[in-house]
Amino acid sequence: MGRLHLPQKLRNLELFLLLIACFINASAVVLVQLGALGKLDPSLVLLGAGLSVLVISLHVVLRFVARDADPFILPIATVLNGLGIAMIYRIDVADQQSGWDSAAVRQTVWSALAIFSAITVLLVIRNHRVLFRYTYIAGLVGVILLFLPLVPGLGQEISGARVWIRVGSFGTFQPGEIAKIALAVFFAGYLVRNRDSLSMVGKKFLGARFPRFRDLGPILSVWAMSMSVIIFQRDLGTALLYFGLFLVMLYLATGRLSWVIMGMGLFLGGALLASQTLDYVNGRFNNWLDALNPDVYEARGGSFQLVQGLFGLAKGGLLGTGWGQGRPELTPVPQSDYIIASLGEELGLAGVFAILALYLLFVARGFRIGFAGQDDFGKLLAVGLAFVVALQCFIVIGGVTRVIPLTGLTTPFLAAGGSSLVANWIIAALLLRLSDTVRNQPRLVV
Amino acid sequence: MNVSELTLLVLRIGFLLLLWMFIFGIVYALRSDLFGQRVRKMNSQAAAAFPASAAPAPAPPAAPAAAPFTATASRASPIDDAGMATSQNTTRLVITSGPKAGSEFPLGTETITIGRSSDSSLVIRDDYTSTHHARLMLWNDEWMLQDLDSTNGTFLAGSRVTVPTKIPLNATVKIGATSFELRR
Repeated sequence: MGRLHLPQKLRNLELFLLLIACFINASAVVLVQLGALGKLDPSLVLLGAGLSVLVISLHVVLRFVARDADPFILPIATVLNGLGIAMIYRIDVADQQSGWDSAAVRQTVWSALAIFSAITVLLVIRNHRVLFRYTYIAGLVGVILLFLPLVPGLGQEISGARVWIRVGSFGTFQPGEIAKIALAVFFAGYLVRNRDSLSMVGKKFLGARFPRFRDLGPILSVWAMSMSVIIFQRDLGTALLYFGLFLVMLYLATGRLSWVIMGMGLFLGGALLASQTLDYVNGRFNNWLDALNPDVYEARGGSFQLVQGLFGLAKGGLLGTGWGQGRPELTPVPQSDYIIASLGEELGLAGVFAILALYLLFVARGFRIGFAGQDDFGKLLAVGLAFVVALQCFIVIGGVTRVIPLTGLTTPFLAAGGSSLVANWIIAALLLRLSDTVRNQPRLVV
Repeated sequence: MNVSELTLLVLRIGFLLLLWMFIFGIVYALRSDLFGQRVRKMNSQAAAAFPASAAPAPAPPAAPAAAPFTATASRASPIDDAGMATSQNTTRLVITSGPKAGSEFPLGTETITIGRSSDSSLVIRDDYTSTHHARLMLWNDEWMLQDLDSTNGTFLAGSRVTVPTKIPLNATVKIGATSFELRR
């Protein structure tokens, strides 16, 4: 595989995979039309073709500005995005929506915006070490974005959680999605600068070295931040996402298990306390533990959605009902939070495992880029960005499949939602940029 | 136009197969990352220079197996007067034994990774090198040699490196069947 390091070979491999990815996406839309409409509708060719043109233009940009970038990230992200659009289109068909009002067309437009932001990131950030200079600015931006929805008049409350802001008449935006990138940059820069005091000193207790009390500042402030997200924004998933991100990056930077033990203890303690005192958290726990109880199922805000999703997954079985032939629209919000249940119903266990395998490969590439990195900041940033995608998948898919209490987060790349798409494509762009600067040509091959 | 059940069934299974073929295509392209680099057949001369019996056993510092290789070190100038390799007094890395003996490349300030993996800075593909075997890095301006838990070990002037160690100028570092030195 040494030859893969010749720049054009890498990009040619990417192009080859990308063409397969576009073919998969196009056939998904065609199968939806055959399955749900029983005929082909050429007016919707734009759905398949739009995304293909966009990703191929991103590929061309990579040929010029990041020749050594990883060749797998772009095709994987393309397939996930395309499967998402196909499923959203399928639910539009069920809801009899079409034209510019339909969610699938909006999702395609958002994909265009997201890929443009990815191209911009690749063009503007020519070396990831530039980000190291803006560590504290990134931290400030992250915190501001995270708490922006709490500003009166700007924030928007949708189904209990206050994590959206209204952008004119255009729609809503979830600034917390962008905040995760800013916070990953901040955590990476901060930990590279300060990890010595967090990793070297402390008392040994039960085989692990525990930090001094005065070094607990960072972890306690991030914990306080996540707890305030739980209390004020009423969003369990976002809080878990940011705290988990910090904990993993802290572990990577210091190599100390005691931080992870302490952090998980803090978070579980906080979550248990919240489940006793906050009604909505208590409800979530109750829906999770007692989902199939008829009283909980029929209650307002009960487990109806969760159980409906499980029924859908069960209906899908091993190979699914086929595109357009299930009834995923019976579950509330089948195109965003529950898209994995919708896909599970129509593609079956084989399809869901394929999607999980794609996420696994995407995250593994991120870890690999971090591992090959030459500088500590790049290493931490790559692993942090990859881990945030993995954790988000775990939180939302774990919630839908009843492994953990359900919390509203978007499935990366798949789910309907503009802010999530933009954020995840920027993550993909940053990983591509990191892999380009990180990958060094061998000096000598013996 | 109505599509028959059978067509839809075939298309459904075909789509899943396509999806999985895409995944296996990626995994196939990634195989060296997942399973390690393929071992290149060593030529007979290099193989003879490295007794296979010595390879699997982790040699203790003064093991006789390491003895033949200290010959190159003794030929070089005495270690003590040269001092430790720093970023100022070291300019190049020279291969002193193995298939590519005699070749060299300049050292900058970046870390040099060594291993069978093709993303290493110094790629050594023989039976005794691990995928990510060792690395050379600057700590406080001094070159340090760190073994990355390699199977067959990294030897500095004949003794196995277990913790990050300063490298004297002109001392022999041996990895698999290849030795190199840091020189002015």
